Amino acid sequence: MVARTGREERAWVRGAQAGVESDLEALFRTHWDHALRAAYLVVHDAAAAEDIAQEAFLAAVRNLDRFDRRRPFGPWLHRIVVNRAIDVARARALRSESALDETLAAPADPASPDRSVLGVLAGLPPEQRAVIVLRYLLEYTPGEIARLLDVPRGTVNSRLRRGLDAMRERL
Amino acid sequence: MKEQLQQVQVPDSDAARDRAWPLVAAAFEAHEPAPRERRRWPLALALAAALLVAALASPPGRAVLDDLREVVGVERAQPALFSLPAPGRLLVASNAGLWVAQQDGSRRRLGAYREASWSPFGRFVAATRRNELAALEPDGSVRWTLARPRVAFPRWAGTETDTKIAYLTGSRLHVVAGDGTGDVDAAGLPAAARIAPDWRPGGGFVLAYADTRGRVTVYDAASGAVQFRTPPIPGLVSLDWSPDDRLLIVTAGGVEVYGAQGQRFRRVPLPGVVAAAVSPDGRRIAILRRTEVFLVDTTRRTTRRVFAGAGPLDGLACSPDGRWLLVGWPEADQWVFVRADGRRIRAVGNVSEQFRSRSFPRVEGWCCTR
Repeated sequence: MVARTGREERAWVRGAQAGVESDLEALFRTHWDHALRAAYLVVHDAAAAEDIAQEAFLAAVRNLDRFDRRRPFGPWLHRIVVNRAIDVARARALRSESALDETLAAPADPASPDRSVLGVLAGLPPEQRAVIVLRYLLEYTPGEIARLLDVPRGTVNSRLRRGLDAMRERL
Repeated sequence: MKEQLQQVQVPDSDAARDRAWPLVAAAFEAHEPAPRERRRWPLALALAAALLVAALASPPGRAVLDDLREVVGVERAQPALFSLPAPGRLLVASNAGLWVAQQDGSRRRLGAYREASWSPFGRFVAATRRNELAALEPDGSVRWTLARPRVAFPRWAGTETDTKIAYLTGSRLHVVAGDGTGDVDAAGLPAAARIAPDWRPGGGFVLAYADTRGRVTVYDAASGAVQFRTPPIPGLVSLDWSPDDRLLIVTAGGVEVYGAQGQRFRRVPLPGVVAAAVSPDGRRIAILRRTEVFLVDTTRRTTRRVFAGAGPLDGLACSPDGRWLLVGWPEADQWVFVRADGRRIRAVGNVSEQFRSRSFPRVEGWCCTR
């Protein structure tokens, strides 16, 4: 289910705020896949990504009454998803977790590095993954990403540049 | 880059979505919408708001409110009963027979029965065919049957160890033990009207029933003693005991409230009442009046309209936890679930088709939390 217009999505938000479950379901169906994929591309662990996307929707439900219905729902949700995903990825890096995800956990040949986008993305720091996901999967402008992540726009641009350079080298 | 990122498959993504939605829906169900923050409106806006309130109180304004309800009900209805908004199970009578709908939305047909009611703890169902009273398991297994002519309005009550079923056979009121034994005619009592009798909650077996002259008799089915009888009441619709021993006599002109000793407490004039339901805790009384549902808070002594449909409504049930009302909307072929605070509405469409019925199915009961 995809919101045909921003107006339709605003109507769903209004309905959900008024307690109409089918409107919340419409928002869920529209945004779930992107939220899950964004989380997965940052944390590279399907189970963790599921938890993050789920938590983001639960947080959205908890804060539904405070949501400004004039604003689009997507950025609000993506902000929660990506920030949470960065936190999880950082925590995992600190714990030196080895099992990243089902795809990467058992490479066929450890000697040959994974040169898929997913594999190359996994080699970047979480903050760089996040801006690349926000820019190229969710199609936010650098200014919007800066607001979502609460960092200066210059930081977004530098993370994007470094991340893309690293990916080009490895691809 | 975008294309490549979008092509990345998240393992098990469909199952993840299926796992997530029930959790999100449950959180939404439990979520209490917070009241909107009050702001210091400029005087002109405050005046406009006051005018809007006045407009909504007017008939055209109420029509606008009704339209809003209609949009919520009709256009946003779920296409099927995916789940009930509160714990418990529904007993539903349709052309195709009697059904039990579980909280997860699954339905089971119990057989070709016309009317039914839950046993006190929801373990069994008393069901009727034209000439038979039957006790069923919720899976449809028949525990016992009793052949009687023109059986109607079975009502089951009692404790864990002792239960009785009241029912009508023709115009005679009968009471039978929960195991199907000891069926007796309420001998000496006047002929019964075609209105469901109702057991008084709590201990004992005290029953209210309406006779063909429009009087309501309350009698002890164990001893046979009549406790009181009202004068004839025109336009009787239904009888409902509240948990605090008040007898609600619903008539086409309103609701009359009697005490357990026969004293009339009050009369609430409300023309066009079709049905009433008392919440399990007795604190709320839902009243269905043509196209509207009102909720009377008996502790705060307030009455609010919680739902208005664009057409006649039919059927009213209260969830076992008292938090939701189920209202039937035959013209729209919908069930409308209205949260008792009136702030949340969930509509389910295609009700007749789901219960394979040519006419709009009737909810016979919503039971139980355990």
